[in-house]
Amino acid sequence: MQSLSHIGIIALNTFRESIRDKILYNIVFLAIGLAFFSILLGEWSVFDRAHVIKSTTLTIMSLSGLLISIFVGISLVQKEIQRRTVLTLLSKPISRVSFIVGKYIGLLGVVASHLILLSIVYYAILFLTHSSPSFYLLQAIYLVFCEMAIVVAVALLFSSFSTPVLSTLFTLGVYFAGHLSNQLLEQVKFVQRMGEVEGAGSVLMEKVAVIIHAVFPGLYRYNISSYVVHDIALPQMYLFWQTLYALGYIGVFLAIASWWFNRRDFL
Amino acid sequence: MIQVEGLNKTYRTGFLMKSKKVLTDIRLNVPKGMIYGFIGPNGAGKSTTIKVLTGLLNFDSGKIMVAGFSPRVVKSRAHLGYCPEQPYFYDYLTGRELMSFYGRLAGLKGAELNSRMDWALGLVHANKDWIDRRLRTYSKGMMQRVGLAQSILSKPELLILDEPMSGLDPMGRRDLREAILSLNREGVTIFYSSHLLSDVESISNRVAMIVEGRIVREGTMDEITSSYFVQYRVKVLSSLDIKDLPPGIKASVHPDEWVCEDGQAKDRFLSYCLNAGVSVERIDHQRPSLEDVLTEEIARAES
Repeated sequence: MQSLSHIGIIALNTFRESIRDKILYNIVFLAIGLAFFSILLGEWSVFDRAHVIKSTTLTIMSLSGLLISIFVGISLVQKEIQRRTVLTLLSKPISRVSFIVGKYIGLLGVVASHLILLSIVYYAILFLTHSSPSFYLLQAIYLVFCEMAIVVAVALLFSSFSTPVLSTLFTLGVYFAGHLSNQLLEQVKFVQRMGEVEGAGSVLMEKVAVIIHAVFPGLYRYNISSYVVHDIALPQMYLFWQTLYALGYIGVFLAIASWWFNRRDFL
Repeated sequence: MIQVEGLNKTYRTGFLMKSKKVLTDIRLNVPKGMIYGFIGPNGAGKSTTIKVLTGLLNFDSGKIMVAGFSPRVVKSRAHLGYCPEQPYFYDYLTGRELMSFYGRLAGLKGAELNSRMDWALGLVHANKDWIDRRLRTYSKGMMQRVGLAQSILSKPELLILDEPMSGLDPMGRRDLREAILSLNREGVTIFYSSHLLSDVESISNRVAMIVEGRIVREGTMDEITSSYFVQYRVKVLSSLDIKDLPPGIKASVHPDEWVCEDGQAKDRFLSYCLNAGVSVERIDHQRPSLEDVLTEEIARAES
């Protein structure tokens, strides 16, 4: 019970710290600007305007969430260590696990606020352009939030033991690997079917693709813009299973971050 | 309140994780209700020891108990207040917001939190209008006061302070010294490191001296200084020739003043004066200061 209270206090302080960060506002305004730019893209595109606006805005949500995780999230733990505020905080009867989880929840709150704001902008644009906003959009936004929940945990994990530059590179790596791992596996299988690569090389290629697919979180699962654009219903229980999948990865990443943070010396 | 036996700590630095031993076989025993000074030169291991006690650093080996718990256990910090050297806080908060943040982490809320904040800020003379300003505008002295105030918010049984008086003006030092004495009168055990040896001499019940990661002296002020050299300065009313004097006597820089190396030399010199009919004007018993002892220990370690 005491730990929950500590997590809540640290999360609130993290939220308060993040919303005073100028970088956050730059990202938010950039995302809103790009969302409005999607109207022009819709006009210029040979595809249906509503389709372009919907898919572009969902991509903007995902990428801006990634930028927040990197530019705000990674610096959060590093700042605590470099400015030595962590010394007074961890000398209180607070476990390091509570510290990591509190930081995570605070940052997730920032990402959630950002997505809520973008959703309002998103719906306003759809109404203004008569682009038939549907219920599926909310499902897509929820899945972007789940995706960001994983990305924030990844950013926090790397920032608990690495430098900000390396943490940024690692987080970007996991983000893109997570989005492309399914395509990579399919491409390898396609190449094998076509017989373009054979023998040991083929086996090795498949193993590498399978490992990448198994280890990295499958972030491609959270991109359902094709369903939204064409107003197609998601498979039954899709949201439930993807939520569970995200929770599993978040749990593992936060456990590793906490374990590593526990071993750290604070000079 | 603090028991440390055989504490060893090694830092691993650089890409090759080169090891450097910073604490060797540290032994400390800080009884309840004591003001315990921890002194030593820069880089001797004071802050490292303190960070091990507060659970901020892991250690290689040894047995440590802080308020009855190992510092690896979160519970050990439930009865502990800590203020690091040159405390840094969230500079986007005001002093009062910071106090409220740490108070809530200590489990305080509502009226109890407010009254505890008033008490802590009052004790360190920080209940001024600047407490509602953002911390980024604070001077070093203000930050130090807020640092001490946050460490006592939970009314801890044990207070660990790392260089609490460094960088303070004489008024600030006096205020902090009085705050430490006042807390100690209320039963708080205080363990603190300091470079300001005159402050340590004036308020500490016991002192431990650390040089190059080893405790070289430990005890009360008397125990530490009496085990060191003791000199006597004797002022006489006549001029004497050093060749006539007994062994162990040296000339002082002042005229007609003689320095006796120890008690026996002093006795020999006095009987010489008595026999020679030389009048003695004054005898000064000169005890070494902590600074003398520390300087000697550093020189010994370096040689």
